[in-house]
Amino acid sequence: MLVNSVIIVLREVLEAALMIGILLAVARHVPTGRRWLLVATVLALGGAAAYARNLATVSATFGGVGQELLNAALHLGVFAALVVVVFHIARRHGDVGERSRVLPAAMAVAVALAVAQEGSEVFIYVSGFLQVEEFASGVTLGSIAGAGIGFSVGVLFYYALVSQPEGRARWIAVILLAFAAANMCIQATNLLIQADWLPSAAALWDSSTLLAEDTLLGQLLYALVGYEATPSALEAGMYGTGFALILLAAVAGWQLFPVDGAEA
Amino acid sequence: MMDRKRTPRILAAVCAMWAIAGTTVQAAPPEFEIEIRNHLFEPDELTIPANTKVKLIVINRDPTPEEFESFELNREKVIMGGSKAIIFIGPLPPGEYPFFGEFNPDTALGKIIVSDADAR
Repeated sequence: MLVNSVIIVLREVLEAALMIGILLAVARHVPTGRRWLLVATVLALGGAAAYARNLATVSATFGGVGQELLNAALHLGVFAALVVVVFHIARRHGDVGERSRVLPAAMAVAVALAVAQEGSEVFIYVSGFLQVEEFASGVTLGSIAGAGIGFSVGVLFYYALVSQPEGRARWIAVILLAFAAANMCIQATNLLIQADWLPSAAALWDSSTLLAEDTLLGQLLYALVGYEATPSALEAGMYGTGFALILLAAVAGWQLFPVDGAEA
Repeated sequence: MMDRKRTPRILAAVCAMWAIAGTTVQAAPPEFEIEIRNHLFEPDELTIPANTKVKLIVINRDPTPEEFESFELNREKVIMGGSKAIIFIGPLPPGEYPFFGEFNPDTALGKIIVSDADAR
């Protein structure tokens, strides 16, 4: 139970921890204040608890696929927020944060929605198995360890980004966020296929022999870039579209806000 | 002249029939049931027809939650204790597709066998 708990919680936490690490690093280079993180944390924890408590009800809606639809909506919400975040990160002048309240707000939305969804599953798992006496201590210790490892990876990304010069850090952040956003798109697509709201089709390719999704590297790549060993054409297409839209947002931010007198 | 006008109409009619036939097939995908009891899947092997979309109903009889998960099927769904979940899978080529309960991965193991032969 202990080892399983570590893995389950780590898998759920990793994706959100990576995104938070990247956004916090951005916040070091682009002034956004600190309040957005507090707001996001409160919304995320509240949202996760509320979702977890009502999951059975949510699941039963829309002919039994309410869970897929809500999760897909949350993923697409994170995607939309990341488009806005990247647009503002790519702006050239240094005082983005002072001029705009949009960036911290979009960061808060991205974190809140991502954590609410992943957090609800952790919440359901932990609260479900804490009641079983023989599992309680294993679940508690394992969950703390899993969350700790997950957030450590986020911290690692944070310091790796913060240690870069500002200009480079911004562009690395944009690329990493493009992967995160494309990941949201492919997951949302997959959920809508699972709900039978989008047509399912044969896999475009099968790279599971090359890199299986259940390996350590496979899981890390799943969390970081949305690795999928057997994507359908629709999933691959949505992934590419999501990635392209983020790059487009970056270019738009870069082009629309030239700096007076500063080096382009 | 008449012939030229007729061809698209016939084509349209054929398309419409095709679409109706398509939706009726889509409207009722075959249903299959799996239960979760004591963190085990019953049955733990389920045979479904190849190249057919099926509606999988997973009933969790345990008081604890479970997460139906399969890397091979690209499926993942939380099922609360004492509730059921609907998961659409396929159409799939013949083969074996393992699944597991993420919350009890040591015991909750199973596989979907997609068979060319008309399975039931």
